[in-house]
Amino acid sequence: MKRTRIFRTGWLVLALVAALAPVYWMLTISLKTEVDQFAIPPKWFSFTPTLQHYTDAFVTRSFGQYLLTSAIVAVVSTFFALLIGTLAAYALTRFRLPWNLDHKLSLWILSTRMFPAIVTAVPLFLMMRDLRLLNTKLALIIVYTAFNLPFVVWMMRGFFAEVPRDLEEAALVDGDSRLGALVRVVLPLVSPGLAATAVFCLIVSWNEFLFALVLTQTDAAMTLPVGIAGRVTQYEIKWGVMSAAGVVAMMPILVFALAMQRYLVRGLSLGAVKG
Amino acid sequence: MSIKFKNVTKSFGDSKVVDDFSLKIEDGEFVVLLGPSGCGKTTTLRMLAGLESVTSGDIYVGDERINDVPTQRRDLAMVFQSYALYPHMSIAENIAYPLRVRKVDRNEREQRVARVAKMLEIEPLLQRKPRQLSGGERQRVALARAIVREPRAYLMDEPLSNLDARLRVQMRGELKRLQHQLGTTTIYVTHDQAEAMTLASRVAVMKKGRLQQFDTPLNIYNHPANRFVAEFVGSPSMNLIDGKIEHGVFLSDSIKIPIDRSDAAVTIGLRPEHVHVSTAPLDGAIPASVYVTELMGNETFVFLLVGPHKIIARAPADFRAEVNCKVWLRLETDKAHFFPKEHSTDYTDQKQSV
Ligand SMILES: Nc1ncnc2c1ncn2[C@@H]1O[C@H](COP(=O)(O)OP(=O)(O)OP(=O)(O)O)[C@@H](O)[C@H]1O
Ligand SMILES: [Mg+2]
Repeated sequence: MKRTRIFRTGWLVLALVAALAPVYWMLTISLKTEVDQFAIPPKWFSFTPTLQHYTDAFVTRSFGQYLLTSAIVAVVSTFFALLIGTLAAYALTRFRLPWNLDHKLSLWILSTRMFPAIVTAVPLFLMMRDLRLLNTKLALIIVYTAFNLPFVVWMMRGFFAEVPRDLEEAALVDGDSRLGALVRVVLPLVSPGLAATAVFCLIVSWNEFLFALVLTQTDAAMTLPVGIAGRVTQYEIKWGVMSAAGVVAMMPILVFALAMQRYLVRGLSLGAVKG
Repeated sequence: MSIKFKNVTKSFGDSKVVDDFSLKIEDGEFVVLLGPSGCGKTTTLRMLAGLESVTSGDIYVGDERINDVPTQRRDLAMVFQSYALYPHMSIAENIAYPLRVRKVDRNEREQRVARVAKMLEIEPLLQRKPRQLSGGERQRVALARAIVREPRAYLMDEPLSNLDARLRVQMRGELKRLQHQLGTTTIYVTHDQAEAMTLASRVAVMKKGRLQQFDTPLNIYNHPANRFVAEFVGSPSMNLIDGKIEHGVFLSDSIKIPIDRSDAAVTIGLRPEHVHVSTAPLDGAIPASVYVTELMGNETFVFLLVGPHKIIARAPADFRAEVNCKVWLRLETDKAHFFPKEHSTDYTDQKQSV
């Protein structure tokens, strides 16, 4: 009994250290002077903190702009992915299509996520070039929306399937329209699922690197991950600036996930059907 | 509003669930659809509500053919078997939902909710959520949501099936009073024959998607159209004995009853109250042995064996007999029903073809 508890706690600590050590290292580097950064033996705790890298990143350089671009792209693409994906998922769970299309379509939709992203990067680059959308936020919004859609459809399909049909049917009999029943009855019941899906989409868009790198090169359209990677140059690597930007990039997701935690716990639809 | 089903058929794939169903319900009637599980009662109701498409045939509400009218514009209210209360809304919001959708203004909404809440005695519950209510309370809320507006008809799908026996009897009475008070056409689905008998102005008995008989409870009980209806309605069930009539005598294994009818193979049906048991030998009585007796309080059900036949009789509460005790039966043959042997005809009476 006791042995297993120690064993379990040990594993947890190990996992926690493995997960948090790089974060801690990044945090300290962002606060160390360049001299301290390379001190041997490494200075784990005792160094004089400085905010010079933060001012360097966000005042001298245009990391503030990258941050804003990232936020706009992530929020807008998440919004559209949720809007389109939720409606699609609802239709797929509630309407029977001819030739079993409702089942087949769901699989096709998922299959778009089965090949590696790099396969689509080049065609997307060419398409965006022809549309004159290279180096624009719109290009990233379109790509991220498309990229998140299958995920939204699959998540929401599961949540919708759990809502008893009776409830919508009751709403229809009570005189509500399909859309009204969706908005007033179904969506409130799946709101925890919707929140979880939104968090996931935001994180994916916020962290996305490959498409952003391929589609944007200018300061005006660059997202934070691309901006950070850009500090690795032929001549120097700006560890302090990169770490400072990394810490800032991490914050919104952390705060958001914590705020949403309450919604991520389900259980709202209990008591819907007598039992 | 009157409601009319005209040769309505519903198929799911290859299986016909409702088959050539015709029924005309007058305005203000309380009609019960009665039948065993899986006979298509719910499907019939759902077609009327527009939740299921009609494979062929027509449905009318008043003079309007509603086959292609979407659910939300049929103006019917339905109480679901599962109650289908909206779990994220308070009871008051649940009841007000049909009004909110119709954009009734807030003041009137509140007044009407208060009125039905009072009528159904659920005022103290209005601020709670559905999951905080008992089954009986949820059932009332579901009713309240239906009667808060004045629909063209109420559709109820076994609304009492999940309540305990006592509450069910109580709610049954309340439902009947309520319908009487409101005077709105009501179609009520159940597989409980006692519910059907007590509630209905007319009962429609269904079997395997086909209508068997549509008549008043009394006529259904006293003049069942076929063997199925006879057996399904009444508790305990009607006694059915297969045999044949020859030269004015009904013959079956160890039973011989003089019957004044022409020769034929028939099933004779006798209600338990028309079988009289006596512990003393009687002239012309049929000897039988007691299988078991069940005292119900105000009466006794006596299960009897006559040769290979099992027969049930109703006896007074003070009737006493040991198991295997020998008794004598007198049958009120003038109350007997006769059905063509082992062959149940479907009810297609002239007066029912609409
Ligand atoms: N969506 C469906 N697809 C296929 N078959 C169905 C569907 N809905 C109902 N059925 C079948 O139709 C028949 C009648 O169902 P229905 O629900 O109308 O019965 P019911 O009389 O209401 O029974 P119960 O008293 O058990 O509620 C059943 O055999 C059922 O399996
Ligand atoms: Mg049913």
